[in-house]
Amino acid sequence: MRSLFIAAAFGLASATALSLSAPAEATGKVKCQAGPQSGWKNVEALKAQLVREGWKVTKAKVDGGCYEVYGVLPTGEKVEAYFHPVSFEKLYVAQRGKVLFRKQGY
Amino acid sequence: MRTIINSVRFVWVILALPALFQLHGWWTGAIDTMDMLHPTGETSARLMIAAMLIGPLAGVLGPRRWLLWLLARRRALGVAAFGYAVLHLVFYAIDMGSLDAILGELPIASIWTGWLALALMLPMALTSNQRSMLWLRTAWKRVQQLAYPAAVLTLLHWWWVHDGATAAVAHFAPLAFLWLLLALRRLRPIRPSPQAGV
Repeated sequence: MRSLFIAAAFGLASATALSLSAPAEATGKVKCQAGPQSGWKNVEALKAQLVREGWKVTKAKVDGGCYEVYGVLPTGEKVEAYFHPVSFEKLYVAQRGKVLFRKQGY
Repeated sequence: MRTIINSVRFVWVILALPALFQLHGWWTGAIDTMDMLHPTGETSARLMIAAMLIGPLAGVLGPRRWLLWLLARRRALGVAAFGYAVLHLVFYAIDMGSLDAILGELPIASIWTGWLALALMLPMALTSNQRSMLWLRTAWKRVQQLAYPAAVLTLLHWWWVHDGATAAVAHFAPLAFLWLLLALRRLRPIRPSPQAGV
């Protein structure tokens, strides 16, 4: 009976672990309250703007209601960055988890 | 069927399957190089946790047939964890593109913890064989105990590189749970049995 309880508790801990780690889409690092996507600017326009500023853009997608961009800064650092999808305002920049910039309130 | 399941080759095939799927995805262009970092690292960490869970689980539940089966294959899990960590490093190097870029990231906490974890796993992997066991004798166990600091460093690497603890901590939670259970069992005072009398 005791080992059954231990096995159940262990199973519960493992299941919780897997369920918590499963959603890889929304990281929850930054959240944008930007309204419906129909009102957002095109992500291609953001990529083009960043390239003009000297970035190398590897990938861009939606995460937490913001645009999440992976790329290389003009200074050479490989970063993950978040931008507001309506204003294209820079909200968060991190290099391998080291936060380089975070806009106040985000 | 039982002969297949019990064969060493079967275990290695199972352990190699995630790598085959991941590499196939990358080769065909379905997975970007940067997106290979997460699955290879996560598989390495999961195998490391699995290898480290077997011992404490046997300690808590006692000798069970399936646990003894796993115990006999624990070394393969550990070596596979190292293999996936090396694969993780290979894709990190490809993604970074140059030695200068790799060295530039070395001072970042999330990165040097990963390097250090891999460095600790190296002697464990190199000595995970019968010959080293006979050669090193009592020192062999000490080498294998590097798994504990390597696990802590892996947890920190995962936590810091993603700037979030949830996934990393959730993966290590079952191991922490078992360690806590074993520690509580050791701390519990021994009660005299009713038959012992006074």
